[in-house]
Amino acid sequence: MGLALLSACAKNDNYEEPAETLTGRVIDNSTGQPIQTESAGIRLRLEEQSWNNGQGVIPQYFNVKPDGTFNNSRLFKGKYKVYPMDGAFVPLVTTTTPVIDNSKTVDISGVTSLEFNVDPFLKVEWVGEPVVNPDKTITVQCKFTRGTTNPAYQFNVTDVFLYVSTTDFVSNASYDNRFSNQVKYNGTDGNALLGQTISITTKGTLGGSRTYYVRVGARTADNVNKRYNYNTPKPVNIPGA
Amino acid sequence: MKKFIYPLLILLCIVTACNKLGILPDNIVQDKDAFASTGGVTAYFAGLYNRLPIEDFKYNMNNGYNQFNYIPNINNLTGESMSREVGGASAAQTGYWGDAYVVIRNANYFLETMPAYAFNFNQSQVNQWLGEARFIRSFTYFELVKRYGGVPITPGVQYYPQQGLEELQIPRSSEQQVYDYIGKDLDTAIMLMNNTSEQRGRANKFIAAALKSRVMLFAGSIAKYNNKNISDPATGAQVQGIPATEAVRYFKECYAAAKLVETGGYALYRASANKEENYYNLFFDVSSANKEAIFMKEYSDLNAVHSFDLFAIPNQMKGKDGYSSYMNPTLDYVELFDGLPRNADGSLKTIDATTGQYAYYDNPYSFFQNAEPRLLATVLMPGATFKGQVIDIRRGIYKGDIAGGINPFPGSVSPFPNTTNPYANNPNIVPAVNSSNLPSPMVDLPNGQKMNAGGLSGTYGTTGGSVTISGFFQRKYLDQRKPVADVIVNKSFQPWMEMRYAEVLLNRAEADYELITAGQNDVDYRQDAYTCINDIRDRAGATLLASAADLTSINVIRNERRKELGFENKIWWDIKRWRTADAEIQNRVWLVLNPIYVAANGKYIFDKRRYEGNQQFTFQSMWYYEQIPNGEITKNPKLVQNQ
Repeated sequence: MGLALLSACAKNDNYEEPAETLTGRVIDNSTGQPIQTESAGIRLRLEEQSWNNGQGVIPQYFNVKPDGTFNNSRLFKGKYKVYPMDGAFVPLVTTTTPVIDNSKTVDISGVTSLEFNVDPFLKVEWVGEPVVNPDKTITVQCKFTRGTTNPAYQFNVTDVFLYVSTTDFVSNASYDNRFSNQVKYNGTDGNALLGQTISITTKGTLGGSRTYYVRVGARTADNVNKRYNYNTPKPVNIPGA
Repeated sequence: MKKFIYPLLILLCIVTACNKLGILPDNIVQDKDAFASTGGVTAYFAGLYNRLPIEDFKYNMNNGYNQFNYIPNINNLTGESMSREVGGASAAQTGYWGDAYVVIRNANYFLETMPAYAFNFNQSQVNQWLGEARFIRSFTYFELVKRYGGVPITPGVQYYPQQGLEELQIPRSSEQQVYDYIGKDLDTAIMLMNNTSEQRGRANKFIAAALKSRVMLFAGSIAKYNNKNISDPATGAQVQGIPATEAVRYFKECYAAAKLVETGGYALYRASANKEENYYNLFFDVSSANKEAIFMKEYSDLNAVHSFDLFAIPNQMKGKDGYSSYMNPTLDYVELFDGLPRNADGSLKTIDATTGQYAYYDNPYSFFQNAEPRLLATVLMPGATFKGQVIDIRRGIYKGDIAGGINPFPGSVSPFPNTTNPYANNPNIVPAVNSSNLPSPMVDLPNGQKMNAGGLSGTYGTTGGSVTISGFFQRKYLDQRKPVADVIVNKSFQPWMEMRYAEVLLNRAEADYELITAGQNDVDYRQDAYTCINDIRDRAGATLLASAADLTSINVIRNERRKELGFENKIWWDIKRWRTADAEIQNRVWLVLNPIYVAANGKYIFDKRRYEGNQQFTFQSMWYYEQIPNGEITKNPKLVQNQ
């Protein structure tokens, strides 16, 4: 009896472990490059279709990386409906009028690659290089423009945020609030700055002799997720005392 | 032969057993017992009310209802309160679902069974009960719809296995259908019920109307402010979001329900002329003189207890179980109120705007001596007297020369940049030690006496970490008559005020203002809102609105609601239905107020800054709708998950 119990404990689940890989990129149509986001800034939604015709299936999610790529090597083989959501881009799927479905349905088997194309709410670009000031602050120049021509998704620009962090995860999900600087706009004030070069400086005094990462996020009054669009992170060396 | 006897015996047993199965066991209460007498019905309702989802002193953000632990209460997510145990924002998804359908089923069972026994009672009595069951059902559906949007509406009592799975599994109705179902159910309850409750703590016509004003206000807010519209692809029902065109209808229903409550003789509590004492006592008075109490949940030492005093008590008065100081109102919240010392530009006068240096106050309480009475009844200030003791809160002692005034410490000037060690490098100040292990230092004063750098109750304490981290304690609901020996686990039984007339007035004023914004003028809504707000402000001892024209924005009414209903587990749901939570609470560090003793002149300065622990709170937009528990979707595949 004791033996039976012990040996029962040692038995493995007889179902094969998930081993399929889904990999790919979410392409920003304004740059042609993968979209810049933050940790957990975009979720990839998977709805399995091969069981019960997809009815009653609990959707699975995994996060797209901050550089706009995604990779999950632990999925069960099957047919899935896949789309990215929650990011600062025109949604690919809507269920109320006007109903849109730009999701992709794929059989995930072995290594399956997918690419999605999205229109960001804003395109954020660097103008020139960040400048280190004598008082140990950093001044950057950037500009933001509309990433979509669809007027239903051209919301007012609400704020621009210069993020500072000690890692290249720098974003709204990871920044040092002693140095980062947010510029807020009322009403339509921010829209007037579309396409203009704007200049922002960090707050406080950055500690000497190390590398900081800076990045600019800009955001619209997007009616659902209110995420930022970003440019690429840049390292900046602050000289020692 | 013997071989055949046993099968025969077994057969005999089975056959005889079959005959006996028709007899119902005596030890299970049967319908005829429960429904044929008033006592039976009372017992049935005791079960229903006991399970009613009221977010009281036993509701927390992690586990939901009926918990001992009130420390992670939802007021910590809104900026009302902070606690050293709550380090960041949370979706507060408690997974309330299955328990709700138990209450709904029991209410439905009552509604279906009672009519067959109605001949035992007079019709008015039966109607009262049928109304009560509908009230309970509505209350419960509302708790679901405010979390999930559209949920399944059961057509009646379901039976398994008599009914097939396919029939039992019901898809979600649209969010609008659920609100309309509740509205209609409450209309019927209002029609059926009497003006007075059968017993204290049970529903009546006006309590149902008060609930309706709350529910319709929520429905209107969702219609107006929600932007995330999601439909069930299988049924087409819009399970998240309500068409904006419905908003006016809901706000009008809210207004009408609130006006109905007014006819029930309810009024704001004004038993005592001292406005501070009066507001404080409002939450403890269970007598019929309290006309403000609409729906109260009471406790008793023997039957139902909670532990609020244990958690909220200031450190210097804690009981033997050791808990204390978990409910610390933020300065963000305190600053909403009237009567605090301010500079000409409106900024809080911690720093005198004319000199740019700290302003002196004779003692900690002089900062608050002109504060609005409602604030003093809601929040326990440094230097306030409570249970015969002076609340001792100090962040440190300033020992330097003050001939040239005291200049601001880092992080104490607007916009209050985050600063983690503001006092560390200042040789003039001895801070209370920022550690849970070390006692804070004793400091020699010029008059030869010694003083502890930290206060008995904060901040960063004298003997341990159990002190306020914001500089304040919650006073609302904290029982000042409770002896220290009773400040222990499971020894609190002050009532929970689930619905009171002030909320109904605030519901009405908010609906009024939304109707003004929508261009409605069938009633003078502006004048009505003005009357409601001034009634509340007058009772609170706050500054009155000079005229109806002073209602310049919806925020006047929303802020009044925050002030009046703070620490009542309500504001979390308000900032969610207004859809303002994500904008308000974004990488936000709450403000605190540190009293600092100045050795040279024996006065106090107040240091306003962001919490030194630098804990940031961010509300994620995806939290406006909670996730349906996955286990429920497994049981009922027709449920679509929220996004």
